[in-house]
Amino acid sequence: MKKLRLVVFAFVALAQISVPAAMIWQRQRTLREGRVWKLRTAPVDPVDALRGRYLTLRFAAEDFARSEPMPIAPKAYVTLRNEADGFAVVDQISADRIGGDNVVQVERFGFFDNKAHVYFNFDEFWVTEANALAAEKAYANYSTRENQDTYVTVRIRDGDAAIEELYIAGQPLREFLRTQPAP
Amino acid sequence: MASSPNRRGVSWLRKELPGLVSNGTITAETARALERHYETSASGSRNFGFALLAIVGSALVAAGVVLLVAHNWDEFSRPLRSVIAFLPLVSAQLLSAFVLRCRYKSKAWCESAAIFNVAGIGTAISLVSQTYQIHGSLAQFVVVWLLLSLPLVYLMRTTLGAIAYLAGAIWWLFLREGWARSADPLLFWFLLALVVPFFGMLFRRDRSSHETTGLAIVLAAAAAIALGFTAAYTKTNLGVLAFAGFFAAIYICGIEFFPPRHPERLHPLALLGAVAIGAMTIVLTFEEIWLLARDATRPDSLRQMIGVLIELSFPIAALALAAWSFARRKMQFSVLAAAFPLVVGIGWLIAIQCHTRSDEGTQAPCATTASILLNVYALGLGVELIARGMRAGSPARANFGLLIIAGLGLARFFDSDLSFVARAIGFIVIGLGFLLTNLFLFKRRRSA
Repeated sequence: MKKLRLVVFAFVALAQISVPAAMIWQRQRTLREGRVWKLRTAPVDPVDALRGRYLTLRFAAEDFARSEPMPIAPKAYVTLRNEADGFAVVDQISADRIGGDNVVQVERFGFFDNKAHVYFNFDEFWVTEANALAAEKAYANYSTRENQDTYVTVRIRDGDAAIEELYIAGQPLREFLRTQPAP
Repeated sequence: MASSPNRRGVSWLRKELPGLVSNGTITAETARALERHYETSASGSRNFGFALLAIVGSALVAAGVVLLVAHNWDEFSRPLRSVIAFLPLVSAQLLSAFVLRCRYKSKAWCESAAIFNVAGIGTAISLVSQTYQIHGSLAQFVVVWLLLSLPLVYLMRTTLGAIAYLAGAIWWLFLREGWARSADPLLFWFLLALVVPFFGMLFRRDRSSHETTGLAIVLAAAAAIALGFTAAYTKTNLGVLAFAGFFAAIYICGIEFFPPRHPERLHPLALLGAVAIGAMTIVLTFEEIWLLARDATRPDSLRQMIGVLIELSFPIAALALAAWSFARRKMQFSVLAAAFPLVVGIGWLIAIQCHTRSDEGTQAPCATTASILLNVYALGLGVELIARGMRAGSPARANFGLLIIAGLGLARFFDSDLSFVARAIGFIVIGLGFLLTNLFLFKRRRSA
């Protein structure tokens, strides 16, 4: 009986380890092999009591012009394309599953007055507890109408999107905060 | 099973033993047997205290680990953070393996190791999510955490773990709103079903223990919350019937399957069921409750159908349980309380007659009839409980019956057009009823 308990526990322990391990494995592949896209952003900073602090991101590319209504489905897939300035915008939207290194899955979307809005599912950027406030301030200062200089790089591999880095004034967030500490 | 002894009583008995032996009331052998018996009980109580302290200590350490994780160690490299993410989990797993091998009989070790392990899983997933900027809703995170933690409840036989698991499942119910459009509460019932066999094991081992009682109450509370969410999800106006059946089932189960520790008192589960039936009866005597929601729809998807089946399963189960007890001629519960879902079902059928006309004004006659039915039922239930209380010489039961009648009187005080004189007479009669019943019962007790 004791042996059986231990054997069962070994399987349980393996399952417990395999979930975070699988998360790492999939994300590592995307970060290694995925195609890089640059997306302009906008700020919010809620607190998630369990998982530390993060910046909630909104992207300029989430709003785009569209002549026909959005598909009626619980989720949809959008394809990205690069503009001349090097930043990505939404190209197409489809209710059918499509693959590729330019595809992002969206679960919420709307359509009004020939304008479509989608929510990308990579909308959180974790920051250290000590940096959260400074990061939010820096982020807000550099994403106004007059001073729009924040973006993220995202790697996409077959629909799996991984945020690589948040850039403020052309520098990765941590570097920016190191060189220009909050007043 | 005997309840834990009163320590003062035991110490008094110990002091008495030499005297009892010397005057020949009991033999020296009996005195030694008594000493041995109470020594074991005392050590059991010490073990429980140790287990409790160990649980609190482990919970605090686990909470500390989770908070440390929330700090977000950005200074370390990704590979290093990945290793750190697994450290608490792997050490908790090693501890659990050790406990399963060498300390399986110690409740304190089992509970503590399980808590560490549960915290370890949450820590690992959280840290990996932070490190790799992996996004997902808190609801998804909680479900994965719950499913990976559940086997520990069975392996470590941890009742506290089962309670924490149910608390997590309720948390998921509240979190699921923002998950996705299609999120419905049905997953909760699946999560609940996964822990029911553990409750069955506990019940078979010792149905009168505090552990079994505690888990039964938490299970009932969790199911009640989920039933509310399910009723809101199905939008079929069946909520009242579902809750009536649920409370009646809890009440009957409490009486039929859980022996009370004291013959005059109800088991806590039965008591909760009875109080819920009383309170819900009074609520249902208001006419407005029977004006059914006009946006109610027929279930149009399989998931909604499953929701409706879950709702209907409780009144069916309650009536089946009552019929089963009746057939065995071992019915110990109040007949009217057990018939609660039947009465509410009739009220619901009356109310639904006018519902199809979809105008609130035309619903009023049916709502009035249904509320009159419930008023009569409330009065009958109160009288039956008073009679049962007086027969059994139980002031608590009789007073509960009176309380239902008083509640009914108070409810009508607010919403009826009765004259002040009629209301005053009503209250005087109820008040006198309280006084006379208690006088009768206490006199009878004294003479007994």
